[in-house]
Amino acid sequence: MQSIAKRNNTNKFIVLTFMAIIAVITYMLIDLNFENSRLLSFAMKIRFPKLIVMIIVSISIGGASIIFQSVINNRIVTPCLLGMNSLYSLIHTAVVFFAGSASIIATNSNLSFAFDLILMAVVATTIYSYLFKKTKHNVLYVLLIGTVLTSLFTSIQTTLTRIMDPNEYDTLLSSLVASFNNINTEIIIFSIILLVLLAYALRKELALLDVITLGKAQAINLGVDYDVCIRKLLLGVTLCIAIATAMVGPISFLGLIIANLSRQLFKTYRHTHLILGSTLFGIIVLIGGQIIVEHVYTYSMPISVFITVGGGIYFLYLLLTNRRV
Amino acid sequence: MTGDIYQIELFFISRLPRLLAILCTGFGMSVAGLIMQQLCMNKFVSPTTGATISSAQFGILIALLFMPASTIWTRAIFAFVFSILGTIIFVSFVQKIQFKDVVMVPLVGIMFNNIIGGVTNYIAYKYEMTQALSSWLVGHFSSVIRGRYEIVYMVLPLIIIAFIFSNHFNIVGMGKDFSKNLGVNYNLVLFCGLAISAMITGSIVVVVGSISYIGLIVPNIVTMFKGDKIRGTLIDTALFGALFVLICDIIGRVIILPYELPIELIIGVLGSILFIIMLFYRLNNGRKAIALKIGGKCSCSQ
Amino acid sequence: MIIEKLSKHYDGKKVLNSVSFEIPKKSVISMIGPNGAGKSTVLNIISRLMAQDEGVVNFEGKNIKKYKSNELSKRLAILTQTNNVQMKLTVRELVSFGRFPYSGNRLTEEDKKMVDKAISYMELNDFEDRFIDELSGGQRQRAYIAMVIAQNTEYVMLDEPTNNLDIYHATNMMKIVRKLCDELGKTVILVLHEINYAAFYSDYICAMKNGQIAKFGTVKEVINKETLSEIYNVDFEILEIQGKPLSIYY
Repeated sequence: MQSIAKRNNTNKFIVLTFMAIIAVITYMLIDLNFENSRLLSFAMKIRFPKLIVMIIVSISIGGASIIFQSVINNRIVTPCLLGMNSLYSLIHTAVVFFAGSASIIATNSNLSFAFDLILMAVVATTIYSYLFKKTKHNVLYVLLIGTVLTSLFTSIQTTLTRIMDPNEYDTLLSSLVASFNNINTEIIIFSIILLVLLAYALRKELALLDVITLGKAQAINLGVDYDVCIRKLLLGVTLCIAIATAMVGPISFLGLIIANLSRQLFKTYRHTHLILGSTLFGIIVLIGGQIIVEHVYTYSMPISVFITVGGGIYFLYLLLTNRRV
Repeated sequence: MTGDIYQIELFFISRLPRLLAILCTGFGMSVAGLIMQQLCMNKFVSPTTGATISSAQFGILIALLFMPASTIWTRAIFAFVFSILGTIIFVSFVQKIQFKDVVMVPLVGIMFNNIIGGVTNYIAYKYEMTQALSSWLVGHFSSVIRGRYEIVYMVLPLIIIAFIFSNHFNIVGMGKDFSKNLGVNYNLVLFCGLAISAMITGSIVVVVGSISYIGLIVPNIVTMFKGDKIRGTLIDTALFGALFVLICDIIGRVIILPYELPIELIIGVLGSILFIIMLFYRLNNGRKAIALKIGGKCSCSQ
Repeated sequence: MIIEKLSKHYDGKKVLNSVSFEIPKKSVISMIGPNGAGKSTVLNIISRLMAQDEGVVNFEGKNIKKYKSNELSKRLAILTQTNNVQMKLTVRELVSFGRFPYSGNRLTEEDKKMVDKAISYMELNDFEDRFIDELSGGQRQRAYIAMVIAQNTEYVMLDEPTNNLDIYHATNMMKIVRKLCDELGKTVILVLHEINYAAFYSDYICAMKNGQIAKFGTVKEVINKETLSEIYNVDFEILEIQGKPLSIYY
């Protein structure tokens, strides 16, 4: 019976990978003009980096969400509760407000990426390490305080936008909506290196994920240094989300959708499977969504809308079917 | 203030309405929070951590969108309808689900807010109304002048009704079976209670915008000292709430004279800090610190 | 294992007040006492799930805090009351986790044999591919015990293993506890509510009241009218059945 379940999962993986590849190919080749080689190479030049960005975002958000849910021991949470989105919005608003939309931090995308990432990483790591210490590793309280900080960031940010010059506000607005456009190669390479380093630094803790799902008492019983382990993992999740957010902007519900789709499909506790599944789902959802945004709505709707609305409905569905959260 | 007519007029057009609006906001938000906490039996539920404020804002956006020329009263009606709907949907979800920890309830509420806020933001973005809407997203008293704020008076009769029915709310908070045993119509009272608190919130959001945290913090601080019976604490909560808003308003006006900071910023900062202190206090001193009636386990599902 | 002067505060209240005793090896030790006496707290502290405020737990000649968590997990196992796993986990997969301290996520052939042995020892062969959230309370409890057996530790600690089980399953559970000690040579420490189970199946009894040890000794020494009446503030009558004391309270 176990072997059947295993074979089933392998089959599911094959199908999922296949779908992801189809999505990638469709995205690369749709509406292409093969006669004109200059247009062709131009389209490739635009599409290829976008594709890579979407894949990186899928990996970091897919992985981070699964880890986050396992650490919190709850399927309906998503790392957007950690407040990276509102911190990102606050940073961008503050930059435009204090330095102006013409300043070099706002216009140079490399610089603004580095600025976002460093600030988010430093602020989040400091705050969350401190919270872990103060709450004696009570994850739920850490999370609740995180949401309080989120609303603190939001109220400062909205206050700034209210007293801001309307022209500046217009330029700011576009950077507060998630988009896969205009991301240059250096940022892509840099993010890949960061993610690899992060995975390497956390390799020990990642191997403990399966045991952590058994709950705190069982994990300690089986020899896991629980508090240290979840702290490291959560900080890793925060950094992952920070990388993704700094790249494309806030996408709140993506993690919730893909992590749960993966859990629903694979019905296993093995995190290697779950993370891989959630990454593949991420690729399918993001690329599929982007194809629709580009070719059906011709950019009139940002992809984050699909994700928020779809994610919201899925969230309600999860609440009603799970009944115990 | 000397006796000349200009000053008197200023007083009646701007200063007095502002004071009254501040008092009503303080009364209203704290009482709305208290009612919601009693009905759900969860100390972390409030118009902010429920879905009330964000759905009221959504309602206002819809009113602005479809009836650009609408008066403040039409907008208020939209805000009422949407906030009642939003709150009831949220609470009915919360009651259907078993929560492993009380803290999960506000987390779910915040996810609800994210959804509603996301949709609101998108529509506002699409129709280029974000900055117009931001006036309702950030609470501030600077636009409170005669003729534009009277709707906040709605708060007062609603509080009186809440006071009259406070025992009913207490009973309903104890659960469905408990209220049936005492002959109280559970669904009706629950609906009325939520509607009252949603309408209070709605009328405040229409006039001054979103005011977070008061509904969360003030009732908690008061119950820490006075216990959990609504009737005993309702007046204290209302007065303390008004005092809190008044102090925040003064801080907001003094801090960068001659300009003024929106009250939402002051309350957001002060409120966050107070709330975090409260959480730490609860964490270190156990449940009795913030008298959580039902222990660590689920609270909202009867 | 020697426990010295454990104290613990909760919410400003003293729940343990200078608790000291020594756990004899290869025996079944039951901890009894009224609610809030501090039984589970002691169990949690000696199994390093909880930190004490004062006092020392001396495990095999060394302070338990000096051990690496992984090292301890090969010598000491704890099963708490709340074991609700949300993941889809089969019985075999759960039992395999018992080998985690030894081999991590990759099981060796030897590990697999240990898992097989534990499963058949607990007679779980028919369920081994079922998901644990589909099992009955008694079966699930047995699956967890099988995991503890696969963990192969000298010490096993169980927090109210008979809780929520009917008479049939509870009695079975107690027989298993006895077997763990007699056949596998483990030291079993458990928290129990039913005095008669404690009296019938254990070697030693540790009776607690108000965060202190009221009496520690063999079954005969503790299960008598005076001691029990004093601990529980209820009248007791002691009968003797099969050479073991049977208590009746009213």
